[in-house]
Amino acid sequence: MEKNNSNGTVTFYPNNYENSEEDVHSLSTKGRLLSYNNQLKDSLHNGLKFTELLDELIETTDSQNLLRAAMELTLFQLDTAYLVFPQQYSQSDYYLIFLNRLLQLHQNEQVILQSSDRNDELYHEFPGINQNGYFTFRIDNTEEGGAYYTEKNTGEILFYLNFQRRILHFNSRAITNLLVVDYSKTYNYETVKKFEMYLMALGEYFKKDYGFDVDFNIMDPSNSTFYQFGNSGIPQAALDKLFIQAARENFMLVTGLHNEAILKLDNDVEVTIYDKSIEDSSATLNKWGLVVTDDDHKVSWFDLLFQYDFIRTWYLDNLSSLEIQSNPLYF
Amino acid sequence: MADSNQFNLSDHDYATKELSNSLISKIEYLKVLNDAIDEQDDRLVYQLIDGQRYSKEILKAKHSVADIENESLILDVHDKISAFLSKKLITYLREMYPFFYFEEIGVGRFQFYFGNWWGRRLFGELDVLNVEFKFNAEEYEKLSRAFELEVENKRYNTDEINKISEETDSLQELIDGQDSRDQRKDEIRKELKRQSQEKVSFWEQSKQKEQRQKLMSELSKLTDLDEAANNAYQKIRENEEKVLNLSKEDTLLGYEKQSIITKFGTFENFIDHNNSLYRDYIADLIARKGRVD
Repeated sequence: MEKNNSNGTVTFYPNNYENSEEDVHSLSTKGRLLSYNNQLKDSLHNGLKFTELLDELIETTDSQNLLRAAMELTLFQLDTAYLVFPQQYSQSDYYLIFLNRLLQLHQNEQVILQSSDRNDELYHEFPGINQNGYFTFRIDNTEEGGAYYTEKNTGEILFYLNFQRRILHFNSRAITNLLVVDYSKTYNYETVKKFEMYLMALGEYFKKDYGFDVDFNIMDPSNSTFYQFGNSGIPQAALDKLFIQAARENFMLVTGLHNEAILKLDNDVEVTIYDKSIEDSSATLNKWGLVVTDDDHKVSWFDLLFQYDFIRTWYLDNLSSLEIQSNPLYF
Repeated sequence: MADSNQFNLSDHDYATKELSNSLISKIEYLKVLNDAIDEQDDRLVYQLIDGQRYSKEILKAKHSVADIENESLILDVHDKISAFLSKKLITYLREMYPFFYFEEIGVGRFQFYFGNWWGRRLFGELDVLNVEFKFNAEEYEKLSRAFELEVENKRYNTDEINKISEETDSLQELIDGQDSRDQRKDEIRKELKRQSQEKVSFWEQSKQKEQRQKLMSELSKLTDLDEAANNAYQKIRENEEKVLNLSKEDTLLGYEKQSIITKFGTFENFIDHNNSLYRDYIADLIARKGRVD
């Protein structure tokens, strides 16, 4: 609480000033001064503590300390009723700085941390797609907390990061819209793949260094990854279309012994579309989705969307039945 | 005491002998069959279960020896014989017809699919005892027609798809014409209103009435088109579904044709092979046996 007195300076009173007149009257002038002084000291200590954390965020070479500093800074209340710092970075800025430091620790700092004078904020810019990517964090102000890595021009949210819950989940829809649809118009596969590899690297570091639960979604190249369709029933019409479209490109969609559809592509890459619920006898609901297998566990659904025009067209035309699910809690 | 009024009956000894001979013949038949099965001699089994066909097709005998009575002894185990014979037969067929995929649907009963591709068609059943494909008439007819259409450079559903596409195009035009129809309706309504407020001389009244009629009828035509346009979306969706199914069928037939051409060169050659399947298979069994012995 603050009150202007007659000569215009600002005096800060204890927080409960207005509600408890008696307390104020019961304090002597000396008592009041001491109380005020203690509040200032506390506020200064708070500020010093902040600068230590910021030092840590900027300088530390220990990934655990780095995470701790970032966690605390994103929640830090720097201003107090007695002390206000007019120049401050935002929560989003700390998230961005943290990501760059994490990449630095892995000698893999591909993304550039830029400062926007116009918006008075930091943002990420990726070499190669400079014009079409302005990335910041949007803070989730609900109880859940965490932050969304967002491309500001399109509003596409690429992933959700939550330090407290230790999760990083990628968003299949945004990755499809931004990387597959948007960027594929302007940039070649190599350029976009670099950006995708940067996102993958982030996920890997969170997983390896901090044991986060990371959902790579359509970028996951592991052969065992089941990309589940948002719509759980058999995508019959979509499969028929894939059969026809693949045939035109001289690829054959074959049928397996359990009614699964298998698309054999170049270099021994195979896409299998099937109902995963048949593996679980207690399952009552169908669970259709796809897996991408290759000898080196290197190819993800994302790669195929980019490399095969007919697969991309097919996927985008049939999103209503095929869209790969993201964690519905966050997207 | 003999009663001389009794009929004279045949000799019992003769009856005994006759029955015994018959049974011995049956036992002999069954024994030969059982031995053939023990020795995995499929060729002999085929000969035993249908001697008439065997002698006609394989031995080229003028007067075939039918052993129908004995053959009918085993009618109730035909499914088991079929199961027994299927092993070697299907191995043979897989080589000769690599595009047929056999599925067991009961003891000694098999159906087969054409191809391993998505949406492949169930193409018929295999008659193991007669070494014969019982093609699904409808599916077979489509394939046969698809081959015929090749000379016209058409696919099975080309005409149908074109027809539907044309319909879809005109439906789309109907939808696209909504704005211009709305505009015209507006004009007509304004004109009608203007006319109704206009004072005309007695002599011009009939002319005006006629004009009014014309406008009214145009307006009603336009609303009919609006109605049709409203239904067009639904119809277009239905057409898309139809075209999808027809294209799928064309793709399937394309794969089937390709498979036959790869293996047999022509559809006629494929038919010839089907017709001589029994002979060819028995000949193969004989040749194999010769090689093994």
